[in-house]
Amino acid sequence: MKNTPPRPLRPSAPSALESSQFDPRYRLEPPKVDDPGARKRARFVAEQQKQLMVTIPHRPANIGWFQDLVDRGAAEGSGPLVGYFCNMIPVELIFALGGRPVRIDCGNPALVAAGEEALSGEICPLAKSSFALAMDPEGLPNRCDALVMPASCDAKRKLGEVLADYRPVFTFNLPPEQDAGRYGAAAAAEVERLGDWLAGTLGRKLTTGALVEAIELTRRRAALVRELQAARAAEPAALSVRDFFLVVQASFTGVALEKWLAEAGKVLAGVRAFKSARKRLRPRLVLTGAPIVWPNFKPLNLIEECGADVIADTVCTGAQSCFDPVVYDEKGRAALMRALAARYVFASPCPCFVSQGTRISRVLDLVGEFKADGVLNYGLRLCQLFDMEAYRLSRVLKARKVPFANLRTDYSLEDTEQLRVRLEAFLETLDGG
Amino acid sequence: MITAGVDIGSTTTKAVILDDGKVRARTVLPSGNLPGETAKRALAEVLASAGLKESDLAMVAATGYGRRLVDLGGIVMTEIKACAAGALAATATATAGAGAASGLERVHTVIDVGGQDTKVIALDDAGDIEDFSMNDKCAAGTGRFLEMLAHKLELPYEEFVAEASKSDTMIQMNATCAVFAESEVVGLLARNVSKADIAAAAHNAIASRIASMTRRVGSRGSYCFVGGGARNRALVRAVEEALNKPVHTPEDPQTVIALGAAVGARRKLERAAEKDGGEGTP
Repeated sequence: MKNTPPRPLRPSAPSALESSQFDPRYRLEPPKVDDPGARKRARFVAEQQKQLMVTIPHRPANIGWFQDLVDRGAAEGSGPLVGYFCNMIPVELIFALGGRPVRIDCGNPALVAAGEEALSGEICPLAKSSFALAMDPEGLPNRCDALVMPASCDAKRKLGEVLADYRPVFTFNLPPEQDAGRYGAAAAAEVERLGDWLAGTLGRKLTTGALVEAIELTRRRAALVRELQAARAAEPAALSVRDFFLVVQASFTGVALEKWLAEAGKVLAGVRAFKSARKRLRPRLVLTGAPIVWPNFKPLNLIEECGADVIADTVCTGAQSCFDPVVYDEKGRAALMRALAARYVFASPCPCFVSQGTRISRVLDLVGEFKADGVLNYGLRLCQLFDMEAYRLSRVLKARKVPFANLRTDYSLEDTEQLRVRLEAFLETLDGG
Repeated sequence: MITAGVDIGSTTTKAVILDDGKVRARTVLPSGNLPGETAKRALAEVLASAGLKESDLAMVAATGYGRRLVDLGGIVMTEIKACAAGALAATATATAGAGAASGLERVHTVIDVGGQDTKVIALDDAGDIEDFSMNDKCAAGTGRFLEMLAHKLELPYEEFVAEASKSDTMIQMNATCAVFAESEVVGLLARNVSKADIAAAAHNAIASRIASMTRRVGSRGSYCFVGGGARNRALVRAVEEALNKPVHTPEDPQTVIALGAAVGARRKLERAAEKDGGEGTP
């Protein structure tokens, strides 16, 4: 980016502490757990998943480059690190401030128990393991200059204040309904507030020029992911969904997007050049549901091991995460904020909103567009939002004669065989009994 | 055409020989610690009792939780598919023709209670699987749960079932955790509750779980109860009460899934033959 070196913040900008959303009187000394055992188990789990993926037929030649990024978390590079959760934080603000956005949703099963020791057992594994990362002095959140999370579910709404004891945190508020007429201005104002907070916390100035450049950059990522997605749907054998998720998730590691674009472009070229030796007869599934974060690729392993292809998804850590480009009408600050809100708030298929229409429509579109044989919902245990949505989703699909199965599980591996029976039986029904 | 089905379950391994739609032999063995070996032994035994050699088999199908732990040289299918096919085959005579002698309608809902799984399968009018539900995170509500409680009451399983049939108790018990249920049993015994009442409460607890699972799948038509659990008359009665519907139990319900695997194997061969016939052999 050709923006001028960041200048010190304007004198009136509030300091991170002053502008904190959390009551300073009740700050806690944050628990830190230096647990080499947990770290070792976490590395072991990731290593096992890597070993499992070695057996994938036909992997991109440069898949190691993406794997390294995902392994090492925030890669080297310049600029402050800003950790964020979910797919609802406008990362363009971070890029525009010269920062490196790092997605810190944690998918490591080995860290769930560690998070449970401080929080409660009855919280979703993603929140628990993410908190465990924050308790680890060497964990990614502690290397970040600021953390941002959307108030997208009860766990995340409260996790912000918990993490604010460790690092400066901004909790990004969302409207309850995806009604841009009613909530559009408020959502754009919240994006603006996040921009101000980030600028203040990082001591940098947010310019519209830099923001436009950042938007152009992420638009290129969106375009590439869309092309990869289309190429996969045409020839699923060309790229395993697990490698696809790995490629996508590598772009959330704080890597310079230009570099990622170059490498992902090579993957795309490889996928397009791939000619399958035989006709692909495996069932084509649309995957929807809860986030699937490295190294918890358990649902993806199961699907491919049982002999099916995921040809499209609405998963916020898969194709969906980069699918929608930011579209702006003009380059004024207010217009850009509205454009970011439109992309990150009003287009999101997240189940945190009052109506689940966005996700259902998206699933139906994907089924039609990519000629899917069925829909698989991945329900993360203890995520009530996705659980509640399975009720309507299953019935709407049934009424449209779209085969549907629900895989409801958590990060642990103990129910793998039961899930395999469930999935295989579903695939048998697709096969005509 | 002779086919075999082997159902390698968590507690027992079942094998069935199917000869032109008729069961020629069946066997049940405890699965033991080496289910793969047991499966081979079950197949050998059932062949021997039918007076057949392995080479007489047109196809063998393995199913059940151990289906991938052994290679019997044939095909593999899930117990869901095998269970649906088996229940339809096992009730075919009873439901044949309109207003069959038994008065049983075509089966649309199959309940299978095994050692570590409980499954409910909804079938459409063509007999294809419409939906199914199974326990996946824990084995409460399965056959093993009742076995553990019988042990806690120091009753042989048959006697435990017989005791349960004697009681009309309304005592509530939890069936969500076998370990907690054991301590609940100790508490009930301390309050001088009879073993018959405790046994009945345990059956009712499981039956109510099975019934809610059945309603969740959207049950209709007539009900068929298979698997080792269906041999337990007290459980069948408790499920009927919980569902407020009669539940049909086929002859020898424990081997129905193995039978379904044998049926599936035959169908697969027939389909392959049709295909070859249609397209001409290469």
